[in-house]
Amino acid sequence: MEKVKNKLGEIEYSDENVITFEEPIPGFEEFKKFIFVKLEREEELFQMIYFLISVDQPEIFFPILPIKLIVENYPNVEEYEPFGIVKLSSKISQITINLKSPVYINFTTNKAKQKILDEFDYPIEYQLFVEEK
Amino acid sequence: MLVLTRKEGEKIVIGNDIVITILSTNENSAKIGIQAPNNISIYRYEIYEKIKTFIKEASSNSELIFDTDKTDKVKLNKLNR
Repeated sequence: MEKVKNKLGEIEYSDENVITFEEPIPGFEEFKKFIFVKLEREEELFQMIYFLISVDQPEIFFPILPIKLIVENYPNVEEYEPFGIVKLSSKISQITINLKSPVYINFTTNKAKQKILDEFDYPIEYQLFVEEK
Repeated sequence: MLVLTRKEGEKIVIGNDIVITILSTNENSAKIGIQAPNNISIYRYEIYEKIKTFIKEASSNSELIFDTDKTDKVKLNKLNR
């Protein structure tokens, strides 16, 4: 088991948690290896949020959410699961998810690709939560 | 930057597999057709810049996982198309 430390705390991981990007994240092209983790959190709200933590620079990390929870028939890539990068905020209504450029992850090969779906009309920023009435 | 002038219907080839066709033009815009292998990504320039900005902000905001005011009753905002 290896360990990294960042603002999320101390995270233990092994090779099977490491995802390699074949098509990198825009703006973060030099960072190819990320640890895929779920943090144990009590808040129901964040139950489905995972994190991608850079192996080389663990202070770089992104929250991601399985897009199928938001869009049922999202464009599919065989063997890959689509995830949306989430931009957090101190106000829940301002938390957004990127549906335009998903991160597709293959959990068998542990490879990932970031794709920009310009041919579809999905927004770059989509409000993730709404009030429960 | 290589600069070429093409008329409607004319094409440009890049490498061995990419063909760009000027489908139609008017005063303000050009309709451009692009044939390329599936492994080549094609998208509008400004979209890429906006996405890069979003992702950088997402990275900076990621530590807010601890600071979000979670008092409201909310649910996931499903998108139905």
